[in-house]
Amino acid sequence: MSRKIIKSKTYLYDEKIETIAEVPEKELELLPLNKDLKIIGKKIPRVDAEEKVTGTAVYTFDKSFTNIAYGKTLRSPHPFAKIESIDTSKAEKLKGVLKILTYKNAPDIGWYGSYSKLLDQTVRYEGDEVAFIVAETEAIAEKAMSLIDVKYKELDFVTDTLEAIKDNAPKIYEDSNIPKTRGHAHYSRGNFEEGIKNADVVIERDYTTQVAIHNPTEPHGSVVKWEDDQLIVWDSTQGVFSIRDTIANSLNMPESKVRVIKEYMGGGFGAKLEAGKYSVMAAIASKEIKRPVKVILDRKAMNLAVGNRPDSHQKIKAGAKKDGTLTAMGLTNYGTMGAYPAGAGAHWPLRSLYKCDNIETNEYRVFTNTGRARPFRAPGHVQGTFALESILDDLAEKIDMDPLEFRIKNFTPIDQDSKRPYTSKKLIEAYKMGAKAINWESRKPAGASDGIVKRGLGFASQIWWGGGSPPAYATVKMNRDGSVQVLCGTQDLGTGTYTIISQITAEVLEIPIDTIDVLIGDTQATPYAPSSGGSTTAPSISPAVYDAALQMKAKLIASASAVLDIPGKELTYSNGKIFETKNESNSITNPKLIRKMRERVLIATGARNQNTDKYAINTFGVQFADVEVNTLTGKVKVNKIVAAHDIGRTLNRLTLENQFHGGIIMGLSFALMDERVIDEYTGKVLTTNYHDYKMPTIKETPEIEVIIVSENDPLVSATGVKGIGEPAMIPTPGAIANAVYNAIGVRINSLPITPDKILTALNSRG
Amino acid sequence: MAQKINFILNNVELSVESATGKTLLDFIRKDAKLTGTKEGCCREGDCGACTVLIGEIINDELHYKSVNSCLYPIGKVNGKHVVTIEGINSDELTPVQHAYTEENASQCGFCTPGFIISTTGYLLKNDKPNIDSAINAVAGNVCRCTGYVSIKRALNDIVEEMKLYDNSDNVITELISKKYIPEYFSTIKERLKRLEIIELKESNKTLIVGGGTDLYVQREDDLKNEDLVFVSADAAEKIYKEGNSIFITGSTTFQELAHSDVIKELIPNIEEVNKLIASLPIRNSATIAGNIVNASPIADMTIILLTLNTALHLNDNRTVPLREFFLGYKTLAKSETEIIEKIEIQIPEGKTLFNFEKVSKRTHLDIASVNSAFIISLEDKKIVSCGLSIGGVAPIPLFLKETSAYLEGKDLDTETIKGALKIIDKEISPISDVRGSAEYKRLLAKQMFKSHFIKLFPDKISVEDL
Repeated sequence: MSRKIIKSKTYLYDEKIETIAEVPEKELELLPLNKDLKIIGKKIPRVDAEEKVTGTAVYTFDKSFTNIAYGKTLRSPHPFAKIESIDTSKAEKLKGVLKILTYKNAPDIGWYGSYSKLLDQTVRYEGDEVAFIVAETEAIAEKAMSLIDVKYKELDFVTDTLEAIKDNAPKIYEDSNIPKTRGHAHYSRGNFEEGIKNADVVIERDYTTQVAIHNPTEPHGSVVKWEDDQLIVWDSTQGVFSIRDTIANSLNMPESKVRVIKEYMGGGFGAKLEAGKYSVMAAIASKEIKRPVKVILDRKAMNLAVGNRPDSHQKIKAGAKKDGTLTAMGLTNYGTMGAYPAGAGAHWPLRSLYKCDNIETNEYRVFTNTGRARPFRAPGHVQGTFALESILDDLAEKIDMDPLEFRIKNFTPIDQDSKRPYTSKKLIEAYKMGAKAINWESRKPAGASDGIVKRGLGFASQIWWGGGSPPAYATVKMNRDGSVQVLCGTQDLGTGTYTIISQITAEVLEIPIDTIDVLIGDTQATPYAPSSGGSTTAPSISPAVYDAALQMKAKLIASASAVLDIPGKELTYSNGKIFETKNESNSITNPKLIRKMRERVLIATGARNQNTDKYAINTFGVQFADVEVNTLTGKVKVNKIVAAHDIGRTLNRLTLENQFHGGIIMGLSFALMDERVIDEYTGKVLTTNYHDYKMPTIKETPEIEVIIVSENDPLVSATGVKGIGEPAMIPTPGAIANAVYNAIGVRINSLPITPDKILTALNSRG
Repeated sequence: MAQKINFILNNVELSVESATGKTLLDFIRKDAKLTGTKEGCCREGDCGACTVLIGEIINDELHYKSVNSCLYPIGKVNGKHVVTIEGINSDELTPVQHAYTEENASQCGFCTPGFIISTTGYLLKNDKPNIDSAINAVAGNVCRCTGYVSIKRALNDIVEEMKLYDNSDNVITELISKKYIPEYFSTIKERLKRLEIIELKESNKTLIVGGGTDLYVQREDDLKNEDLVFVSADAAEKIYKEGNSIFITGSTTFQELAHSDVIKELIPNIEEVNKLIASLPIRNSATIAGNIVNASPIADMTIILLTLNTALHLNDNRTVPLREFFLGYKTLAKSETEIIEKIEIQIPEGKTLFNFEKVSKRTHLDIASVNSAFIISLEDKKIVSCGLSIGGVAPIPLFLKETSAYLEGKDLDTETIKGALKIIDKEISPISDVRGSAEYKRLLAKQMFKSHFIKLFPDKISVEDL
């Protein structure tokens, strides 16, 4: 029960994140392996499925009130411009228009650090916010938008990353397009030049990856409502507490007066980690007009203004000895942040996935007049892994070594920066099982397959963090009838958080899963838990829920001890009742016990444990792809993906497979389809809807086999759980790219691999 | 503009005052406040989140089909039954909902009602259920979370269960008894018959809607407050043979065409070709005539019809050959108020072979980068007649007149094909756009031409020779 306050360290990218957290004083008893459990690890259908299959689940998109008003955002049609004048008088006269915000009358609220404002006079990409209109209906708001007369002074713009770094390129800010602060990141270990000298073979290649858009099915949006001085915000978000703090800070209100609720949400994938301007603008307008306001982005805005996976332009030079030893790898990469600061790197896989003593990387983050990047399912790792695994396959071919053997040769059991061993790294087992499942033995040399339709096999590996961390808390409340509520400040993006919380609670307290109600995604009602990003939700909250449930169990036993007048250690807890171990008939059920105690609700709060400092915590895996390429048309069909991963304990085999399938299809999409296209002459995005921005349908889904090589990772936490959302996607594009090369014998070094690129490459080879 | 439209929404008779051009989706979500039907915000039939079922009596039988409610004008439901997810729900989960639950075929759940509707609509179609056609029925529903594997499993469970009792005459009765649909479906046919059908007024003679699946994507704002002209769907027989011709009436949908025995005689693999075009809900609404009038340079069905001797009969008794119908980019040899009443295809003499090729970024539910159709008739080795059309390589859907003429009378051999490739090069003029560069499209057009021969004459022509 007792707690301590610690300094908690978490590793994510270059940051060693230090927080102060309250954690259990002692380590919790380890959760037994799944084979000895009844509910955890089993194929339990999601507990919120019924609401979803009947369409009764209410999303922010569906939320409404009788007197609700609707908000719409007028966005810049130009990639770079200064607003010379803005006249809203005609729009304001339109019947049903309730409020219009522009840079002239909006409060001065900084946004994107100090780079912009809630509504700024300068707009820096097509889609940047110009005005916010609230009206009786969406149609009126739209009509009003067309009546706002904005005079822009168009400025010279640049949308292409490699154009933007040229000396004569238009500058987004006074500083260079590669900002002086944090524009350049350098990493090195060993001596790169020396390593290259010691290599028997050296190759150098250029890789590019495209800008991709998250495009969750439910658009971003909020419904805001003031109740006296309290602001309630329903938001389609991945982090209720983070949204709350941004809104409170923007509006200069106490955080206690802002309540953010996320009920159901239609996907996020990283794009919904931060607060949107729309929530704050809606709150400002709502307060003034004294009515709730609903603002939902349209699909065009989704494709312009709420984030993307930045592009990458990677030059890699790598050397190896004939025996397969990697001697050096170097990377120079340019990626665009868009018009405002964001992450845009890709070097981590190259730095950490394989053993290599000599590494040097230089990465540049570039401003362009395009929508700002946001984290997108394994930021940087998807792009970086594609390039790394492509060049490693080329190196292996050059030294005439099986690419799998080459990876095994360069296996590292330790984290090469901190020199700490990994808590678990069963990558070799994953290679073996994956290779068997895809029939790796049948792989032919590149391009050796006969016929018009050529078949190929390829693979790529994966490293990610995903260990989770404190602080994260959960509260278990048991009512007099023995039913339980679990409160936790996390949120379910559709990944199954409701379900795993229910499972853990049901497992520990041995009560039916349908007597458990889970309340998450509400800042006012729950203890704190972190935002759902970085594959940290299950590993951060599962130990806290487990702790809370264990404490509840301990509390029940201690109370029974008092009620029955038997020492606690002579009591046994089983299936919702407590009995004397030597005399099972001397028992009391949870409901009877709580009634006797004359309490109406028993409460126990659990906390996530401290992370180990002796080990590095990461996830690992490999994915194999079996593809066929039609050499007449250039079309790629993915026949099968085998995913073999070390990800700690499986909490629920169904939700786990869902996550893997989804990650793999998103990876397939990134490999073959996803692409934001910008017209370089106008700076406008051409792919602003599902019509032009293609993502896979059920028809593109290959056979997928998911193999989990880990049972548990007890060095991480008592639940031994690690995250899988991002690991599932990281290796897919690299595996498909290597399989395509194996099929046709020609390398496509830029994603997406379209029929256009394949046919052109095959044709230019003759 | 508003007029009375009578229909049944789920289990309720409604008489709604509305402009006939308002989308069914807006009515369902905003007016009827039924929020189970989602909007993936594309409003272009590309996500399937808004899928609903439309029931109507055809030849005294109640038939259901799935449509995208975001592209469906409410005027078209006059006298019909509209089914949303709320109209499927009953006290317990239906076997479809149960299968999606058990297989975890829902993740964030936003797309799920659309999948449930598409799947239920599939079962109502009385097709002999099998996993391939079940998958096709949900190919217009986009899910960004699950990776679809669990959905495939759910479909498989459903299909297997249906196989146990697929020998029923009346699919609706059967599905009611197995609780796939609620009891009230048994009353719909009689209730539809009792509905008072008021003839709809038209406010603007130039706003002519066939299926609306392209028009609504392009011009919803122009349509939503208007009373539209709906192409009449009254014909007893939509596709029929007369003399040496096949006639397709103006309201014929893609799905109706693909299942027509008359068409299958001419193009045996029409069902397979049809699956490459859009999605089932779109094909259930979109009309062949609309596809022609929309005049997209890469319109799949237009490209197919161009290979044949096709004529368009307009409502003012004018007839225009299809090959002369396209004057320039989206410019047609017809006035704003002229409507295609019938499409006449002259049945070619002798035995013909047909092939269709389409390459797009995504194989299904995508617009082609380039598409091509080819029809050929041989006598021994000699090409007696042929027609080649290629889409996406000119401002109009292109019939390659010179290439086709060049081929006729020549022997079928590698030399002939190589000669034709040179003429193709001159006849086409692709431009670069989102769907590919000009060079790529030029290359692809020629590859497709080769592919026609390799597919139709695998014994005579090989890829190596070309």
